[in-house]
Amino acid sequence: MDIELHWLLDILQHIDVGVVVLDRQYQVSLWNGFMANHSGLDADEAVDKNLFELFPELDQEWFRAKVESVATLEVRAFTIWEQRPYLLRFKGYQPITGQADFMYQNATFLPVKGRSGQVSHVALIIYDVTHEALHKQPAAGAQ
Amino acid sequence: MSAISLLVCDDSAMARKQLIRALPVDWAVTITQACNGREGLAAIRQGLGQVVLLDLTMPELDGYQVLAALREEGLAAKVIVVSGDVQDEAVARVKALGALEFIKKPADPELLLAALKRHQLLEPSPQAVERSAELAAFKVGFRDAFRELSNVAMGRAAALLARVLGVFVQLPVPAVNIFEVGELHMALSDIEHGERLSAICQGYIGDRISGEALLIFHDCEVADMARLLKRTLNGRPAELELMIDLASLLIGACVAALGEQLDSNFSVGHPQMLGQHASLERLISANKTRWRKTLAVEISYALEGHAIHFDLLLLFTEDSVPRLQQKINYLLD
Repeated sequence: MDIELHWLLDILQHIDVGVVVLDRQYQVSLWNGFMANHSGLDADEAVDKNLFELFPELDQEWFRAKVESVATLEVRAFTIWEQRPYLLRFKGYQPITGQADFMYQNATFLPVKGRSGQVSHVALIIYDVTHEALHKQPAAGAQ
Repeated sequence: MSAISLLVCDDSAMARKQLIRALPVDWAVTITQACNGREGLAAIRQGLGQVVLLDLTMPELDGYQVLAALREEGLAAKVIVVSGDVQDEAVARVKALGALEFIKKPADPELLLAALKRHQLLEPSPQAVERSAELAAFKVGFRDAFRELSNVAMGRAAALLARVLGVFVQLPVPAVNIFEVGELHMALSDIEHGERLSAICQGYIGDRISGEALLIFHDCEVADMARLLKRTLNGRPAELELMIDLASLLIGACVAALGEQLDSNFSVGHPQMLGQHASLERLISANKTRWRKTLAVEISYALEGHAIHFDLLLLFTEDSVPRLQQKINYLLD
């Protein structure tokens, strides 16, 4: 394997951002270290499983609409924590001294094309924005 | 034939068990155990320690003091130090005090075998020695086991700190306790001494274990640390950077070493400043509604020859404890 490719995979595994790749049947194709550590589901427990079975509390109808539009329109979609505090309920990094009960998340949905040039997969990128959310909330409430 | 007398001297039952399990299977020895330096020295005086596997960080008398006493009293024990304190200076000091070898914890059976061979201490018996009854007799409590894992982790972190600062780090026995979250700052009042403190916090999570590591600085010592690092502190950003750098080093090494021993991979979050120039109570305003209890590991690092110390706290969530217990049971079996 190219050393650069090896680097990329290693960085993808350890970066402090969630990376998931879903096929068009919502089966998990890729599940990085952030996803494994924050969800408590290892990659071997998540890969090849249906995302809705792994997270039954995920709003299927809403999520499908989002992913389908990304795949058919071939544009990115976003969610921000003000609109939807989290995509998947994860534990945060400050369970003891922090004030949040869960990790606030921003998420990006990216279309991923196969060899044929058609969108074969959709990638989810999940960002931990707990710190930002906690520091912005009181100000918003004060208005 | 009279078997060699072997003394295993370590304050942790888990460490003693791991060591006895790592002994060559065909080495016929009579084993005596001691749980601190004072007991160990007494056993050696009684002739129960021709060969000694000696820990360094222990209550009562530590390993260095045992070595010094052996030399003073002219006792001819052959000592192999087995320690989590892996600073270069620690190795040099025990060798200077007469230890034959230094093996880092948890002891690799191959390295132990090689060390015993090098000093002609092995007298192989024709058949394998049965130690299963001896090993089964160990009752290792959760706190004992977790203290030992923390001990190895803090030693790893101290070795890095020693290298970066060019000092010798004095290592205490880590304290492992379960606290009521609401009482955390009271339970930790030893740290404060009425001084102003600053703290950096870094979360870790993985393998259904999660928590926060807090590195607590005494404000009056930050300038001395900067001098050791040959940095100039012109303003708050420089002060903050110094604290973040030291926190990343200590917390990173500690969490990685814990993960390695538990066979878990942890994600570590970005460092957060919990507060600057504040009281401990204001720094650690724990989320009492979410957790009733926390498993806390307290490690106090002191730098020899300098009036500098840091307190490193690892606070695990209550729901991490069953998983840790499970992992430790696996290690002990």
